[in-house]
Amino acid sequence: MSSRALSLWGGRLLTILTIAGIGVTLLPYFWMLSSSLKTSSEVFELPVRWLPREPQWSNYPAALSRGAFGVYFFNSAVVALAVMAGNLLVCSLAGYGLAKFRFPYRELSFRAILSTLMLPLEIVLVPTFLVVRGLGLVNSYGGLIIPLAVDAFGIFLMRQYIKDLPDSLIEAARLDGCSERGIFWRIILPNCKPALGALALLTFRDNWDQFLWPLIVASKDTLKTFPLGLAQMEGIDSAAYHEIMAIAVIAMIPTAIIFLFFQRAFVRGIALSGLKE
Amino acid sequence: MFQQRVGWRWPSLSLQTRLCWAGFLFVLPALLHLIVFKFYPMVEAFRLSFYKYDLMTPPVFHGVENYKTVWNNPLFHQSFWVSVKYMFGVSVPEWFLAFALALLLNRGMPGRPVIRLAYFFPIAMSQIVVALVWKFMYNPLGVVNTLLGAVGIGRINWLATEQSALPALILIGIWRGIPLFGVIYLAGLQSIPKEYHEAATVDGAGPWQSLRHVTIPLLTPTILFVMVMSLLSAMKVFLNPLVMTEGGPNGTTRVLPYFIYETAFAYHRMGEAAAASMVLFAFAFALTLIQLRLLRRGGVE
Amino acid sequence: MRRWLVACLSLAMVVAVAGGSAFAQTITWWEHSNPPHNNYSKELVADWNKTHPTMQVEYEFFAMTPYFKKLSASLSTRSAADMFTVIDTLLPSFTTKEVLAPIHPEWLGYKNLDDMKKAYLPGALDGYIHDGKLYAVPMIAATFSLYLNRKHFQEAGLDPDKDYPRTWEDIGRVGQKLVKMQGSTMTREAFDFAMHSSAWTMWYMEGLTRQYGGSILDPAGKKCTANGEAGVKAMQVRSMYVHKYKISDPTVSLATNALPADDLPKGRVSMFITHAGSVAQFGPKVMEDMKVVPFPQVNPQKPVSIIYGFALAVNPHLSEAKQKQVHELIRHVVKNPKEWYDKTSYPYPSANFLELPGMDEARKTRYLDVFIGDIKTGTYVTRSAYYLEISDAMHRAMERVVLKNEDPKASLDQACKEIDAALAKP
Repeated sequence: MSSRALSLWGGRLLTILTIAGIGVTLLPYFWMLSSSLKTSSEVFELPVRWLPREPQWSNYPAALSRGAFGVYFFNSAVVALAVMAGNLLVCSLAGYGLAKFRFPYRELSFRAILSTLMLPLEIVLVPTFLVVRGLGLVNSYGGLIIPLAVDAFGIFLMRQYIKDLPDSLIEAARLDGCSERGIFWRIILPNCKPALGALALLTFRDNWDQFLWPLIVASKDTLKTFPLGLAQMEGIDSAAYHEIMAIAVIAMIPTAIIFLFFQRAFVRGIALSGLKE
Repeated sequence: MFQQRVGWRWPSLSLQTRLCWAGFLFVLPALLHLIVFKFYPMVEAFRLSFYKYDLMTPPVFHGVENYKTVWNNPLFHQSFWVSVKYMFGVSVPEWFLAFALALLLNRGMPGRPVIRLAYFFPIAMSQIVVALVWKFMYNPLGVVNTLLGAVGIGRINWLATEQSALPALILIGIWRGIPLFGVIYLAGLQSIPKEYHEAATVDGAGPWQSLRHVTIPLLTPTILFVMVMSLLSAMKVFLNPLVMTEGGPNGTTRVLPYFIYETAFAYHRMGEAAAASMVLFAFAFALTLIQLRLLRRGGVE
Repeated sequence: MRRWLVACLSLAMVVAVAGGSAFAQTITWWEHSNPPHNNYSKELVADWNKTHPTMQVEYEFFAMTPYFKKLSASLSTRSAADMFTVIDTLLPSFTTKEVLAPIHPEWLGYKNLDDMKKAYLPGALDGYIHDGKLYAVPMIAATFSLYLNRKHFQEAGLDPDKDYPRTWEDIGRVGQKLVKMQGSTMTREAFDFAMHSSAWTMWYMEGLTRQYGGSILDPAGKKCTANGEAGVKAMQVRSMYVHKYKISDPTVSLATNALPADDLPKGRVSMFITHAGSVAQFGPKVMEDMKVVPFPQVNPQKPVSIIYGFALAVNPHLSEAKQKQVHELIRHVVKNPKEWYDKTSYPYPSANFLELPGMDEARKTRYLDVFIGDIKTGTYVTRSAYYLEISDAMHRAMERVVLKNEDPKASLDQACKEIDAALAKP
């Protein structure tokens, strides 16, 4: 076959594979949406129904009334936003310090910080809970948020990004008499927008659906996050899957919106942070 | 004016020292937080691994018995290998598929924004939603079996058959990981200056050769980063087995974090769980050490 | 002058202490998630709060599976609720560590423990007694019985009131008339065991093993005896509907997921063993087509069934005064067994339960006789502080036999190895 024909067929194959790939990727989303609008008997009908006969919009209010979901979603939002804010602030501070300053044991600190990435929460669940209890934070927003407020990945990301910022910018500011704090707020942060955007998105997503930690720390119903509410819906013996899917759709909306808006910044942020390094 | 704003505490120190302190102070909040909420609990966990502790009565010193018990526990070994299988089963396909995805998106394809959106959507889905939706899809009466039925493959009870449960979970891991690592690769690809590729083409290189001799060598640090991050994040997976299979059937999806959680909170053997977690930690540490060594050899830091 | 001053101060102190206790305090109550009965619990709490303005109850419930893990974590850090619901099978793991306060029958209105026992069905309190002391007050007595679909029976030409299975072999025989195939796929199972949880597996297996004269653990709870003759026969029964009679198919049944009792109301299975609470969970409309009969037996002349229960326990770190208050709350919660039953369809194991006014109707329409019958012939699972490790090992053994058709004796041998290893740990 001529190379031209080859590349033509190759192109077509590529297109087919791409479409198939998109199909596989989006299938769970489609299924989630479709199931959330079915009746409870349609959900497990044989043969499989792709679309509900009649969209059951009432599933949504019914699902929300199964638990104090208004409160749960609010708590999830509070946790996600607060942890995100904490990470954005503390990780950029630390990233700046590690990237542009020299002090004794700097590299050791960095390696130690990275090593915390290897810790699954389950290992340290009880000791961490004891710390939180010692600080009097059990059953409070503080207890939900503070232990999660700094993550080594964010520090890593910010350090990589800030390293690439030109030193001359900083030195010029120092010569102008700017304080170190001022340099951070006025020079560094404004130039970090893509990385901050990427970090914001990832942190929000990872903390929006916190399950294990809130389970252990919170016992008041008013402090639960929505995954705990979801788990409660799967009662001992029967699960109203159509309603569970409705909650899942609602749960996806914030991350989907944020992702849609910050998508470009996200890619740029990862790109320019020199993670290629 | 110069005198007004210089420093805020020790104006008498030299610039060098002042910068030294400044740097340290910037890092301090993060360090403090990690010491209190990560390092101290880690040390506690290490200490607990030498005790017998059932969560409700005071710990009793036990020496290295926990390590012996863990080593002699066939369930621990099963979990370890399940974790290893899962880690590499998810990561290795991710390395290649994410790379292919990035290459695909790097070419100017029509409808690129839409395609990019579609591929990257899984990044936006929360973990628990992923677990519930896929559990639902893997139901014997569910979508996956229906689709397979359309191509003539019989019905498989995905999550309740020993041979298929772990692969089913691995598929989800790959599905979720490709977009994230694809973005990282894409970013790497886009940062290679076009001149390199142009020079290669001028020299007579075809697309495959360009890939092998220009792209990949330049992307080596990214590739290594993806390799290790994907392994580490696959190692920590816990929610999917918890929600979808509870470690079954017959322990074939009981990954090590799940074994640890179960031993500590269901069986009330915190000391053993701590010992098992130390093994997990040592394994992860070794993996990361290997990356740092390879990175240094790659000439970048 | 000084004496006057001292008197004033003492009076002030007394007033302060008395006044202090007039400030609103709270009792926290934790439960696991169980839809019909959580609503009734909330009603009880609302009732109490109306009449006890200075001692309000805060009620929380959590998803079942993580609930007990959360309970252990909280007990370990002394942050558990004042009162919490426990399941009898997990009780030893708490009592052996002394994290439950002993119950004082006197504070519940009885003379002593023996007096209290008389108020309950014989043996009903045994599940909650450790070392001669009572550690929890029962709230629900549950048992497993056989539910069957009348319509399916009638369609197959069987009479549900006469032809219902009494023994395990009966199920196999009758089932062959009820199963529906389409080619090589089973579209309707005749009978099914739930496979989603090791707790259910233990209840089935213990019931079966006891019927064959053995038990999963030796009476002292120190050694695994599940791989004895009785246990092997029990495992054979457990798996024979899949492999021998072919009236059950794990790949069709949703019982392999967290929806065990969903197959029955949806008509995907004709017979299913589940607990009394399912009557309320299915609802009256579904129950119209159902019939409930006693737990199947190996030997109908010597029936043995299985019971479990949920009970209320008290946090041991409370002051004595607070513990008394919690006992008051317990009395309030369990004071109306008929209401419990009406609202949750769970029987209450009080001695006079069947004679309570209004029960006659329930006996006719809600199969109460069947449930009480099974409760009377029922035994609790053997106590062990290592219950979860034991049930997980048994569950894996069951999975190997049912899903892979592994030899029951070999599978149980492996389970016993794992169980003995767990029991041997200090």
